[in-house]
Amino acid sequence: MSTLNVGGRDIALDKDGYLIDLQDWSRPIAEALAAAEELQLSDDHWEILDLLRAFYAEFQLSPANRPLIKYAALKLGTDKGNSLHLNRLFKGTPAKLAAKLAGLPKPTNCL
Amino acid sequence: MATLHILSHSPFTDSRLASCLRLLGAGDALLLTGDAVYALQPGTTNLQALQLMPASVALYALDEDLAARALQAPERAQVVDYPEFVELCTRYAKVNSWL
Amino acid sequence: MSKSLLIISRQAPWSGPGAREALDIALAGGAFDLPIGMLFLDDGVFQLSAGQQPGQLQQKNLGANLQALPMFGVEELYASQRSLSERGLGDSELNLAVQRLDDSELTALLERYDQVITL
Repeated sequence: MSTLNVGGRDIALDKDGYLIDLQDWSRPIAEALAAAEELQLSDDHWEILDLLRAFYAEFQLSPANRPLIKYAALKLGTDKGNSLHLNRLFKGTPAKLAAKLAGLPKPTNCL
Repeated sequence: MATLHILSHSPFTDSRLASCLRLLGAGDALLLTGDAVYALQPGTTNLQALQLMPASVALYALDEDLAARALQAPERAQVVDYPEFVELCTRYAKVNSWL
Repeated sequence: MSKSLLIISRQAPWSGPGAREALDIALAGGAFDLPIGMLFLDDGVFQLSAGQQPGQLQQKNLGANLQALPMFGVEELYASQRSLSERGLGDSELNLAVQRLDDSELTALLERYDQVITL
């Protein structure tokens, strides 16, 4: 367990750096989580983070890589919904890293 | 691809046996363990249902579970011990434990 | 070629961990691209009732999670028509697109898979 200080507020994280309270999430917090991963969020990143939040709203769980790719292909087309694009954006572990930045629980079906 | 179905719950409180009987294939087999051996209790509709299974469906019951519950296996059922239990599991293409 | 697996889910949604465990096996297998089918049998068909409010029991939304099965590549979804009819769901709208099978079709379904697990 650790904390992330954003705008003078301490946000609780679990041992893997995921938000403890999903309600804490905001766009500045996503920026700060990304900075901790040495990542600068671009529009392409935000598109996927918004997509993940929509996935979570619909299914109430975090996707593993395969369903993430499938959902992205369905909603954004195959030029976005492919492993190359997602791996490039999220350092090779899109399901884990993007879920973290989008304020979702750690995907359970993901090694 | 014949299946060995393993039951371990009492058929008097639970629908596993009834459901299993409905989806048995002709070459499948049934192994009664634990409280599922109560299905062999004489004079019950559960035993009747087992007697009505086609002859092609093999019926097994685990020896020590029968003995512990003071049950005798009817002729229709073959009594097996644990080594035979293991052997049965390897003999059938699939094992379906009704957990 | 991976062995195909049929998961038979026969527990009601809120009676214990059985329904959740069956779904978790399906999602995990699907995430690894295993050929998986799922059959809702006996009280398991109650998982398919539309309009459930598990929040009232402080439970996670199994119904919403079930919707994710096709996203995880689990698209072979079946329910026993007899189990549905016995429970008054014979003609109901369900919360998941399943094929309804009669008893003889269930026997053929089990035959088709390499492995079967019943929870």
